[in-house]
Amino acid sequence: MTDGIDVREFLGGYLAESEELLGSANTNLLALDQALRKGDNHPRAVRELFRALHTIKGISAMIGAEPVVDIAHEMESVLKVADQTGARLPIPAIDVLLRGLRAIEERVAQLSRDEPLEVPRSLLAELASLRVGPSATSGAAELDVPADLAPRLSPGEREQLAQGVRDGSRLLRVDFVPSAENVAAGTTITTVRQRLTALGELVKVVPLSRPAASGQATILFSLLLLTARSDAEVAAEAQLDASRITVLGASVPLPATQPAPSEDLVQGPDPTRSSHVRVDIRRLDEALERLSALVVVQARLQALAAEGGRELQQAVAEGSRRLRDLRNAVMRARMVPASDLIERAPLLVRGLAATTGKKVEVQTEATSVELDKAVADRLFPVLVHLLRNAVDHAIEPPEERRRAGKPESGTIRVACAASSDAFLELVISDDGRGIDRARVAARAGVEVPQTDDKLLELLVRPGFSTLDVATSLSGRGFGMDIVLRGVTELGGELELETELGRGTTFTLRVPLSITIVDVLTFRCADRMFVVPVRSVERLVEAESLPTMAPPGPSSGAVRLSADGDRALPLYDLAALIGVPRVAPARPQVIIVKRGDERFGFEVDRMVGRKEVVMRPVIDPLVQAPGVAGTADLGDGKPTLVLDLLGLVRGGVQARAARSEVVS
Amino acid sequence: MSVLHVLFTVGDASYVVPAADVVQMESYEGVTPVPGVAPYVAGVVQIRGQVMPVVDLRVRFGLPAVSRGLGTRIVVVNRSQRAVGLLVDSAREVVRIEPSSFEPPPPVVVEQARGFVDAIASVNKRLVMRLDFDQVVGRDVDDREVSHGQQG
Repeated sequence: MTDGIDVREFLGGYLAESEELLGSANTNLLALDQALRKGDNHPRAVRELFRALHTIKGISAMIGAEPVVDIAHEMESVLKVADQTGARLPIPAIDVLLRGLRAIEERVAQLSRDEPLEVPRSLLAELASLRVGPSATSGAAELDVPADLAPRLSPGEREQLAQGVRDGSRLLRVDFVPSAENVAAGTTITTVRQRLTALGELVKVVPLSRPAASGQATILFSLLLLTARSDAEVAAEAQLDASRITVLGASVPLPATQPAPSEDLVQGPDPTRSSHVRVDIRRLDEALERLSALVVVQARLQALAAEGGRELQQAVAEGSRRLRDLRNAVMRARMVPASDLIERAPLLVRGLAATTGKKVEVQTEATSVELDKAVADRLFPVLVHLLRNAVDHAIEPPEERRRAGKPESGTIRVACAASSDAFLELVISDDGRGIDRARVAARAGVEVPQTDDKLLELLVRPGFSTLDVATSLSGRGFGMDIVLRGVTELGGELELETELGRGTTFTLRVPLSITIVDVLTFRCADRMFVVPVRSVERLVEAESLPTMAPPGPSSGAVRLSADGDRALPLYDLAALIGVPRVAPARPQVIIVKRGDERFGFEVDRMVGRKEVVMRPVIDPLVQAPGVAGTADLGDGKPTLVLDLLGLVRGGVQARAARSEVVS
Repeated sequence: MSVLHVLFTVGDASYVVPAADVVQMESYEGVTPVPGVAPYVAGVVQIRGQVMPVVDLRVRFGLPAVSRGLGTRIVVVNRSQRAVGLLVDSAREVVRIEPSSFEPPPPVVVEQARGFVDAIASVNKRLVMRLDFDQVVGRDVDDREVSHGQQG
């Protein structure tokens, strides 16, 4: 690690960025693998993979993670040669590259745990031996590229263009000259690039300098686009003059050129990324948290406005609507495509299958549904667990499948779709051996379950395993209890369908978005409650506070205490929520702050701190002041998330309402 | 065409709800009480990952409380996008009832049942009352104020 610079300061950003780059690398490696297996090449995937690795190398060098730099460098070299020569990588090379990505992932994880990094020498040697030469099969791309552009294209890019034309796309050259008028009209190279990206595959942007009529040199950008649209459509959508578009095609061989300098690869266009901003999810959480506070203020405002004039009420109602829109907009900013999640499945399965000697194919199917990053992060380990079970337990070895009259290669299907406005349905199915009810029942020492639901109930018993000898892959066997907990903690549900000899399907339904809250857990009147950490100023022992009872009928619930030299109303939480108090041995006090005021709440015992998924209380029957929602602490039962200040306000309102009735 | 109904008992009376509205029947394993809600709301439960209120029909119908036994069930009703558990003394049967055999309840029953019963029918010589779910789970301002009074 570099001396003098506090690397840890950058580590958060590094981890976030490398995770994203590794995700992109995985996706492109998979796309390349699929193309190669079909006998095609996929030059764009090679280039994107190269870019991701190049960036990983760069950021890893900045924080001094040398082993990562070495691996990324070797992988990059393999890809650079392939890109420049337009050669196809041999399929075994994909496996080595895959191990390279895994090795990087491992080291990134080690960095996050502050552990030393190992140098994988044999892997590095293997990667070095992979650098392929120009392939005889790659063939000259038959493409008419104008002489001013040809020297600026790498063979890989030319192959990509030729492939696109072979696949039926039209190759267009769009020339754009930046000018003052263009800028005034809001058209710049960036906007042109973005518009063209939406129309097809933008392969390259080549800046060219050319003498203008006045004799002064100007800059011109030539954009090479593979598209299915007509010239007129492209011109209209990109807001450019149609005379700027040339169709490139025919069968004139490319002039022989020297390979483009490798830096071109790095500086090439990456329009998909240019319109994105990488944000630490905690910043969005913070924005949401502040918004939530505003929602509370708005609710108070609305209550006050109820006594005011019609115009005031309308303005406040308008404010509430805007606030809701704003909240939805922030929520949307946290969404990621569900396809990101399931497209990692094929590579995961490959890695898993390699150690078992089984043949497995993965089919993925995703609609354009998006889900909250926090849900995706919590769902991923569940997906890994289920895939692991499928590879390890469900899919049979090739010879067993052959005997059963099945294809040697097993199939795992991973599909996701929105099952309603608020829920995602994730289906993981295999064509393996199915779950043997009788065997499960025998192991659990119960009657054979008659339905899949009952069978699932047995499987999710903590620690239940159908394998007598745990394998290296799944460790202690099934671990379905972990899967169930992951799903129910998200507020979702799990379903099983299985047929002996035919296969198993797991269906997960989880909410598209959730609220994660850091809470303190405590006991009061023999019940468990939680309160958001952010609302708590501090905790003190009740014994350390002087108290006295003020006069009046409610003296049981509120006493007067002092916090430093300030008065502190001290509430008995059990009395506040209307349950009999069980005298605790050493009561503790939660101190909550609102503005300059502080309130104390006496509870039996603080238990701990936890991150939970908070579910709002939706049904009007259970909406009550002071109850922010519920959380599952892992016991499958809802625990109330209290809003202590809301509880005080609610209590005050209720007392006021009652005294009105009395008078 | 006869329609399937779930039959359950509260006190000494039998009630039915259309089986199509019933998601499942669970044995009672306690609820999480919620402070500040109507007294007939026993609390919330989590069933298959979904958190829902539980209405104690004994309290709702003004019957004396009894200790909950092995027969106690939560009948989960899902209607107009709302899932609510109904706490009942027992729920064991599913019966077929001809829609035409339902009759409006006698006026005295309507008055006493506060609209909770919308029809009666005879099943195997036994009288059953059809529950008006929307009335039973409807928000009732009077009850909420009573509850706040008890809390304060």
